[in-house]
Amino acid sequence: MALLRVSNLEVDFDTPEGLVKAVNGMNFEVAEGETLAIVGESGSGKSQMVLSFMGLLAENGHARGEALFHDKDLLKMNPRDLNRIRGKHIAMIFQDPMTSLNPFLTIEKQMAEVVMHHQGLGREEARSHAVEMLRAVRIPDPEERIKQYPHEYSGGMRQRVMIAIGLLCEPELLIADEPSTALDVTVQAQIIELVSELRKQTHMALILITHDLAAVAEIADRIVVMYAGEAVETGSVDDIFYRPQHPYTRGLLASVPRLDRESDDELQAIPGNPPNLLDLPVGCRFRDRCVEAVEQCRQRPPLWVTQDGRSSRCVLPVEGGEILEEPAAVEQTA
Amino acid sequence: MRQEGLLRHATTRLLGLVPTLLILITIAFFLIRMAPGGPFDGEKVLPPEIRANLDANYHLDEPLLQQYFRYLGQIITGDFGPSFQYKDWTVNELIAQGFPVSATIGGLAMLLAFVLGTLIGTLAALRQNSAVDYSVMGVAMLGISIPNFVVAPLLILVVAVYAGWLPAGGWDWSWQRMVLPVITLALPVIAYIARLTRGSMIEVLHSNYIRTARAKGLPELLVIRRHALKPAILPVISYMGPATAALITGSVVIERIYSIPGLGSYFVQGALNRDYTLVMGVVVFYGVVIVVLNFIVDLLYAWLNPRIRYDVT
Amino acid sequence: MTPTLHIKQLLVCSLLGLVACSDQESDFGRPLEQRSHPVDLVLLEDGRPDPSVLAADQVVRRGNGEEPETLDPHHALGVPASHILRDLFEGLTAESPDGELIPGAALRWNISRDARTYTFYLRRDMTWSNGDPLNAEDFVYSLQRALDPATASSAARILLPIQNAREVLAGELPVEELGFSLLDEFTMQITLTGPTPYFLGLLASPVAYPVNRKNVEEFGDQFSKTGNLVSNGAYVLKEWKPRVSIELEKDPNFREAGQVLMERVFYIPSEDASTEVKQFRSGELDWTNEVPNNQFKWLQKHYPDELVTSPWMGSYFLGFNLTQEPFIDNPSLRMALTLAIDRQIITDKVTQFGEQPSFALVPPGIDGYVPFSPEYADWTQEERDHEALRLYEQAGYSDENPLRIEIRFNTSDNNKKIALAIASMWKQALGVNVTLVNEEFRVFLQNREQKVITQVFRAGWISDYNDPYSFLELFRTGHGRNDYGYSNPSFDALLDEVGTERVRARRERLMFEAERVLMSDHVIVPVFTYVTKRLVNPRLKGWQNNVMDHHPSRFMFMLKSRNPDIQGEQQ
Repeated sequence: MALLRVSNLEVDFDTPEGLVKAVNGMNFEVAEGETLAIVGESGSGKSQMVLSFMGLLAENGHARGEALFHDKDLLKMNPRDLNRIRGKHIAMIFQDPMTSLNPFLTIEKQMAEVVMHHQGLGREEARSHAVEMLRAVRIPDPEERIKQYPHEYSGGMRQRVMIAIGLLCEPELLIADEPSTALDVTVQAQIIELVSELRKQTHMALILITHDLAAVAEIADRIVVMYAGEAVETGSVDDIFYRPQHPYTRGLLASVPRLDRESDDELQAIPGNPPNLLDLPVGCRFRDRCVEAVEQCRQRPPLWVTQDGRSSRCVLPVEGGEILEEPAAVEQTA
Repeated sequence: MRQEGLLRHATTRLLGLVPTLLILITIAFFLIRMAPGGPFDGEKVLPPEIRANLDANYHLDEPLLQQYFRYLGQIITGDFGPSFQYKDWTVNELIAQGFPVSATIGGLAMLLAFVLGTLIGTLAALRQNSAVDYSVMGVAMLGISIPNFVVAPLLILVVAVYAGWLPAGGWDWSWQRMVLPVITLALPVIAYIARLTRGSMIEVLHSNYIRTARAKGLPELLVIRRHALKPAILPVISYMGPATAALITGSVVIERIYSIPGLGSYFVQGALNRDYTLVMGVVVFYGVVIVVLNFIVDLLYAWLNPRIRYDVT
Repeated sequence: MTPTLHIKQLLVCSLLGLVACSDQESDFGRPLEQRSHPVDLVLLEDGRPDPSVLAADQVVRRGNGEEPETLDPHHALGVPASHILRDLFEGLTAESPDGELIPGAALRWNISRDARTYTFYLRRDMTWSNGDPLNAEDFVYSLQRALDPATASSAARILLPIQNAREVLAGELPVEELGFSLLDEFTMQITLTGPTPYFLGLLASPVAYPVNRKNVEEFGDQFSKTGNLVSNGAYVLKEWKPRVSIELEKDPNFREAGQVLMERVFYIPSEDASTEVKQFRSGELDWTNEVPNNQFKWLQKHYPDELVTSPWMGSYFLGFNLTQEPFIDNPSLRMALTLAIDRQIITDKVTQFGEQPSFALVPPGIDGYVPFSPEYADWTQEERDHEALRLYEQAGYSDENPLRIEIRFNTSDNNKKIALAIASMWKQALGVNVTLVNEEFRVFLQNREQKVITQVFRAGWISDYNDPYSFLELFRTGHGRNDYGYSNPSFDALLDEVGTERVRARRERLMFEAERVLMSDHVIVPVFTYVTKRLVNPRLKGWQNNVMDHHPSRFMFMLKSRNPDIQGEQQ
């Protein structure tokens, strides 16, 4: 059974320029203990999608659709109920550890408040629990360092603290939104490794959001590739890496350095830019950048789905797949 | 470690006060002497014999430089000298009478303004762009733009003259006589603090660490109180130094309209009457108050903001 | 109280979050018809009010302008201090409610034939407020103290007519050389340098009040503070709260304590005339020091019983700087400007409080003196303007070549309005281009005195004593306030004669002649004579309008209210 099932999720933002459609009909599932990677360029809507069902959208953002967590729709939950889930059953860590911790409070305060609030622990208990968690994320000398303020920590250390905060209540699902992007290259791998390791120990599910396909190869079970607010391809790590269906996925893979390719092979960046979210094209959104684009791509491409959970939205057929959604005709109203 | 840094910082700042005050005294001393007319020049001219006696009595017959050093020597002992205008009082006595009044009114006004201002500002920030926000901020805008010499007589007319619940003016340390001046004095400051708080609160609420706090599943009220309030009022704290100094040193307008025996009108009266000792006394006293208040605010700011470190020399 | 008021009250109560909102209404805040009115005054045979018409509490709260600069009578110069000191102390002479001189500490006096020696016979039943007896020696000590250079009193200038006063102040003679002699315990003589008809009046001013020697010597410069001050008047100082209030209490030791009805007097300082009016309207004052210049119409409509105006011994005029162009040696131009002002419009439309248009220097009503009145005082304004234009052209000015001048005044709303009105009259009648210049008071005074940049400037004089000489002497050659640069030997000679003339009628004629000379020389542009204007609780009686604007509290009393329901007595 799916721990989290997201269907037809749409997120848009009212801006002075117009309605920005950040997420357009996302569907995916996360099973218990599973690691799902959501991969896409920046601006593809992957962060806004998770923020939407975490109730963390900005004031001008609106979400529609469903995000069922244990069959309860997070999108329709009142703030009280949502707060019983956030931080306790679903934890989240963010892209920028430099600004994600409150600079005015000690690490102890910021950690202790989570368990004090969700588990009703006393100050002392909360503190020792927090110290243990800091030890678990390999903060040296946690008893002393817990008294410090965020500015006394390095970036990598702060992200460890964030992870520690996330894991305090042993959540069922951890959402890591680009947890290593803002860090030094040397630290990046450590953080991803740490997250993966802790996940294994605690058997929680993990949604790892990244723009870096290579970073998730080792740890993800399944991958969702997002483009312009929708999932263009979903599949297991092997499917995505070895049998990519969608031209966009193939483009992404071509831009990733790989051990199994000749080192002098040049990396191919995908030419062009993602479409304007204020004015999405009617047909395939990737069409303008796609090397394989044909006349048919002017229509909304079909969604191919296979038995084992692979899917792709493209005119190109998926082996063993069937069309779930027929291509839609171009509306000639404009 | 942090405390030591703060202490060292405090001592340096306090020592830095001495040259500041010396410059202040020197400039003020010569500036007021440069103003045309003297303390004994009035519409009715004094016979030269009497003028000579007065000048001798107040050492005005000495060379200016000698008077300056005499004055310096005198204020080192904390003696501001006799007032030229209020002949029965020394400047020390006048300040001792006026300042507690001004400080009480100003302090209460600041307190009221701080509490109400941050409250209103926070409320407006939480309901950003709602009717609540617009109406509260509209009223705040009015509060800033209506000068208190308009507000004060209006309040007096309604509350004191027509309704008769509070006195129209005067002073006896009773709360009844403090209400109107404190409100009048606080109004623009409430408005200003509300705007300041609203702005910084909105900024803080958009910050990543507030998102983190919300992701932790903390109730919104706790998020505001524990995570947002302190950073949001930091700009208010830095504004409060000079603002408090301005409030507690006495507003001439308020003191006139409400007939309050504060320090503010001594300053103006002293300057108009060329009451050299009184003006100087008030200037020096103001100087000390302002420097000390800014210093306190500085410490408060440092105490509230852990990122400020003073252990770097 | 009307229901609407209840609602308003509730509203403001809740607005302000007040715990206790008093129900008490002040009398003066109400509409006219609802205010309490005094009962009719009933006098007994001895002229004193019948006790049955008196209010239970005999307390008066007097708005008093600025904070008095001192309560040491020998230093006091300002009007606010003088009001209080007149209640606390009593000089050899005193003033009745109508401003007439009456015996004070001296029961009677003789003046020598040469008008230089005054012999005072003091009352024998006088004591200080601490119970110590008071005699002539106290007066001699006090007058000597006032003139002692060590006292450094600016008020001492009032005592300059006393023999050797100038020399003593200059430190050339000891105080013992002053013209005082003690004939016995209750008799003293004062010798003057020359005849000074207003001298008895001077003795009623604070600088001539006695101070208690023991008191002064014990407390030094602290002697005038609460608890220290010993005085000899109808009241004693109960409490002095600087810039809050000065409370006086009837002195049971005063020789006429039995006659004094007013038990307590509060002097409330105020720097702002509108605040005073509001305090009066909310019932916190029975008497204001003044009322704002711009509120006449409103007050006349809403406070007709309370608003009191009365002539005052002061003149408002403009001065010419006779030492600089364009006014040096140019009397026709000066006369043209003097003529081309419609004074009636200024008093009716600008000042509004019943000020009298003036064509001369001395205000009417000073000690019986009738001021000089020039021929053009009886002309119509049209005739004056016509003549003005002729003189203006005669002086060489025209529409093509207009006069350009500055009117300089010390910053104040009233001065500005008056200057503006005069400027537009000059413009209209003659085509003069006027620039208005306002200056801070002391800057203004210095510029006047230096006579370099001034052309036409605001001037004015409020007399210290009840004598026209106070106005005339300003124009004497070399006088410290002669900012006009006026010097006319025949005018000076007339003033010299006034100084030695003993016969009242002749002296008056000399002063009249001096004023005529001055006015014919067109040194000033008379505008109007001052009035005093204030609000007074209609229940307060026992005072009268007078040109001095002196109102001793000891003759005052408070009547009962006609309608006891809305009696404001308990406030």
